[in-house]
Amino acid sequence: MAELRVEHPSVVMVLGSRDACDSFEVPDGTTPMRIAPRELMLVDAPGVAEVRVPTGSAPWVENVSDAWVALVLEGVDALAAFARLSELELPVEGWIQGEVVRAAAKVLVAGDRVTILVPAMLATHVEDRIRTDAAEVLGS
Amino acid sequence: MAIEIPCSWCGPRPFTEFSFGGEWRELEAPDPEADFARVYLPENPEGWQRERWFHAMGCRTWTTVTRDTRTNAIEGS
Amino acid sequence: MGSIEFEGRPVSFEQGDTIASALYRVGVRTFSRSLKYHRRRGLYCGTGDCPNCLMTVDERPAVHTCTAPCVEGMRIERPGGFPNAERDLLHVTDSLHRVMPVGFYYKTFVRPRFAWPIAERVIRRATGLGALPPTTAATRQVVRHEHVGTLVVGAGIAGLDAARDAGAWGSVLVCDEGRICHAIAPGTTADRLAELATEVRSLENVAVLEGFTALGIYEGLHVPLAGDGELVHVHPSRVIVATGAVEEHGVFPGNDLPGVMLGRGAAGLAGIHGVRPGERAAVVVRTDEGIDHLRALTGAGVEIVAVAVSTALAARLPSDGVGEIVVDGDVLEARGGSSLRSVTLRRDGRGKRFDCDLLVLSLGLSPRDGLARMALPGEPVTLVGDAAGETRHDGRCGHDGTVCLCEDVSMHDLEQAWDEGFRNAEILKRYTTTTMGPCQGAMCGRALACFAASHADGRSHPPEGPDPPRTTARPPTRPVTLESLAAGVHEIVDKRTSLHELHVAAGAQLDRSGGWLRPFSYGDWRGEYRAVRERVSVMDVGTLGKFSIAGPGADELVDRLFPCRTDDLEPGRTRYVLTLDEAGYVMDDGLLGRVGEGEWYLTSTSGGAGRTDARLRNLADRLELDAHVLDRTAQWGAINVAGPYARDLLERLTDDPIGAEAVPSRGFADVTVAGVPCRAVRTGFVGELAFELHHPRRRGPGLWRELVDAGREWDLRPHGLDALELLRLEKGHVYLGQDTMPDDTPVKLRMSWAVDMSKQWFLGKQALERMSTLPPSRRQVGLEFSGGPADTAALRGEPLIVRGTVVGRITSAERSIALDRAIGLGWVRTVDGGFPERLETGSGATARVVPTPFYDPEGGRMRG
Repeated sequence: MAELRVEHPSVVMVLGSRDACDSFEVPDGTTPMRIAPRELMLVDAPGVAEVRVPTGSAPWVENVSDAWVALVLEGVDALAAFARLSELELPVEGWIQGEVVRAAAKVLVAGDRVTILVPAMLATHVEDRIRTDAAEVLGS
Repeated sequence: MAIEIPCSWCGPRPFTEFSFGGEWRELEAPDPEADFARVYLPENPEGWQRERWFHAMGCRTWTTVTRDTRTNAIEGS
Repeated sequence: MGSIEFEGRPVSFEQGDTIASALYRVGVRTFSRSLKYHRRRGLYCGTGDCPNCLMTVDERPAVHTCTAPCVEGMRIERPGGFPNAERDLLHVTDSLHRVMPVGFYYKTFVRPRFAWPIAERVIRRATGLGALPPTTAATRQVVRHEHVGTLVVGAGIAGLDAARDAGAWGSVLVCDEGRICHAIAPGTTADRLAELATEVRSLENVAVLEGFTALGIYEGLHVPLAGDGELVHVHPSRVIVATGAVEEHGVFPGNDLPGVMLGRGAAGLAGIHGVRPGERAAVVVRTDEGIDHLRALTGAGVEIVAVAVSTALAARLPSDGVGEIVVDGDVLEARGGSSLRSVTLRRDGRGKRFDCDLLVLSLGLSPRDGLARMALPGEPVTLVGDAAGETRHDGRCGHDGTVCLCEDVSMHDLEQAWDEGFRNAEILKRYTTTTMGPCQGAMCGRALACFAASHADGRSHPPEGPDPPRTTARPPTRPVTLESLAAGVHEIVDKRTSLHELHVAAGAQLDRSGGWLRPFSYGDWRGEYRAVRERVSVMDVGTLGKFSIAGPGADELVDRLFPCRTDDLEPGRTRYVLTLDEAGYVMDDGLLGRVGEGEWYLTSTSGGAGRTDARLRNLADRLELDAHVLDRTAQWGAINVAGPYARDLLERLTDDPIGAEAVPSRGFADVTVAGVPCRAVRTGFVGELAFELHHPRRRGPGLWRELVDAGREWDLRPHGLDALELLRLEKGHVYLGQDTMPDDTPVKLRMSWAVDMSKQWFLGKQALERMSTLPPSRRQVGLEFSGGPADTAALRGEPLIVRGTVVGRITSAERSIALDRAIGLGWVRTVDGGFPERLETGSGATARVVPTPFYDPEGGRMRG
């Protein structure tokens, strides 16, 4: 069985040069995802600066929490539930980005917890589809 | 499912995660006639084609690949 | 032990019975009627390959009863036949074979014209594999994806062997259409199989799926497996195909009579189910297996009257109890009425007839390799076991008989098609439909390939040697239901703003628009329209594309992407921008605002947001510009506060200055409204004083409530897309996609003012220059109607006509409330070198081309 929860984690975007992204100091307790050569996404990063510095080589840092919603699958069958939603092959630990039920998602795997981050305007659609397509595997 | 495109950042992914950007096209042509050909007369080869793909469902960066339109083999993979 | 229902009659079944064996035991011999000529068909292959045993089971048509196990309470029917399959009056079509030759429907009933629709309906009613149950809903299919190292298709001995060895390479998934061991008679093979199965099941990284059919091999690799109520998309690194072989189909006159069976079919009935397939049998033995089949028959008490045996196997026949032995003989013909009555065997040109009710053919094995042949060259797909066998032709060929059982195509039909000029296997296949039925060539593919190859050489039968190649194999391997094909396909994606629940609570009529679920009206769109024109209103425009663009290369990026000047835009100011493509065609529009040095804010249409993001990134990449794009579409919502009292309303909720100086008519400012940080952008889309409040998505509901609350003072009503349709129409504003064509340029849209051709370079400039030398061809125009219908909106879509010729189309139309006139937008082509000013609509109204905007042409109301 697996449980589905909806969460609103803190999400911060860092936009800068490759070097700036490579050397950005990631705060403790934060999961960094280098989603593009010049874009770094930090999840659950309380305390990272909210100030934007868009010019020069210093990275542009912004809190974009409003843009994302997390659908969290947790439990023994979390991976089995995910297999009903996407053809992505998940890493054992870590993250991957790709299509999950027609949404452009970032997926984080930690133990028996699979976190699916989707754009906020698709959250309702994705939640509905998870409950329908993985019904056999989700607890109530 | 199916054909994979090697995204320059994410590696090989199903083509359904991408938007197809068409055959590679120069940004400008030397004269109006050449511009007509540039816009309306792509090579459309039966064979290797240089083309652009946008990883819409993933990193949202653009990748240029060379693909054999007969077999969907991608150069270098 | 149990009971099933067959056409209303109860039939009992025993442990392990298939539907076919249970029915055969109680005397059913006609299992179906052939597709075209309604010939009786009996059990034949017994392995789920030929179409003869297909029946409707529990309302599901086309079920192979020879492999489907009996389940208590099943309801079985034979489809087809009028009035039923047992006594079928339509059998008369068989005698009309001469006037209904192959492809007859391409040649007859062409004239008189009225005849074809009638004939088609009659033909359709007379053929087919059963009716789809009209009221049964699709059952939900569970869909899942599996990533494995090796997929083995087929759990026979070769498949299980391969699965056990493949474990060394990573995870393994083995699948089989049926249950392992289901079709093997007790004996050494069955024992060995059971042993292997136990061993394989005990391996840790091997999973076994029974009852799943591999539908095809797609590029990738991707193999969908269809089971009962479940679809598994397997993504293997390699595939091993161990699907075994089909017994060869015998082609001779009378070969499709009930009573003619393939060896495995007859031996299965006798050996596995204990059902005697007949009383007196003629048997053809040309394979090792055939000897075992013969033994199974004698063991069940069948009297063998004759055996035609190949020279190589003659010595291994039992010495007695097998009737007359004809070495190196074959079947000349089979005869009978509703079932087999006699068989003529021949050798060396001499034939002898034997009276019998059963003919058993063990002619050879044909690899069931269709699945593997779907793979592209170079893909890691291998064949093992009988599926990897090679068939060789021994120089014999039938001269008549049914070649394609599924589609009722005879050897004679193939000859006729050849005479008509269809002279290779692929073309013959398409003209006669051979191999295009449920068996997909399992029975007839070889015969078709041999026929074409031999005739191409001018021979009547192919020479000895390897078989010629088969026609192209394509998915699905077996008939598949639409339920399976549709499973897991989600094409409708509804995006929602954070105000969605508020709209629902307000009784809004919601519908899909541009990928979003949006309010079209709150019950009275005309009242909402009036609120905008006369007082104040709010609209949820959170669906708009919104982008922040920043970086050292940002200035250059926007300057090169948009056709207008951008370098002269001051901070806090906006400009209407068109987005063009390489060909100079208008793809999108929006507002571009300068935030500061190297920093911009861009809005786009709701439906075009994704493409705008892609376009910005593409140009930045191609021009190697150091610019970042941050898509705010999800992060920020937007509420448009519009109407003559818009500013008054906002003043109630903000301490920040929002007068004409602080937030000028083509500008924006960051202000706090009702405690919510907003970017207030002045817009002119509806033609009234309006502020689009771009705000953090989660603060949206609170902001909306405060605006609606404070708005009571002016009787505020929110408005939706229906009201917006007329509001923007009165200003002559086009809806991209509705009023524009894919090849509209700024000139055609009368928007040359949005383009600065003196700029050195922008995307599409060269194309516009090239096209500027061409004469004008088409133009978007404003229209006013007279003599039209009471509901002006009905004019939308009507053609525009000049002297009887269609020269344009109406793309928008509605009765203007403010102006009390029927107005619209459309496009017209040139007539005699100029654009017409007066036209007729398709329904006879008059249309006059008029300048736009219709309402407040000076624009004073929105510039307040």
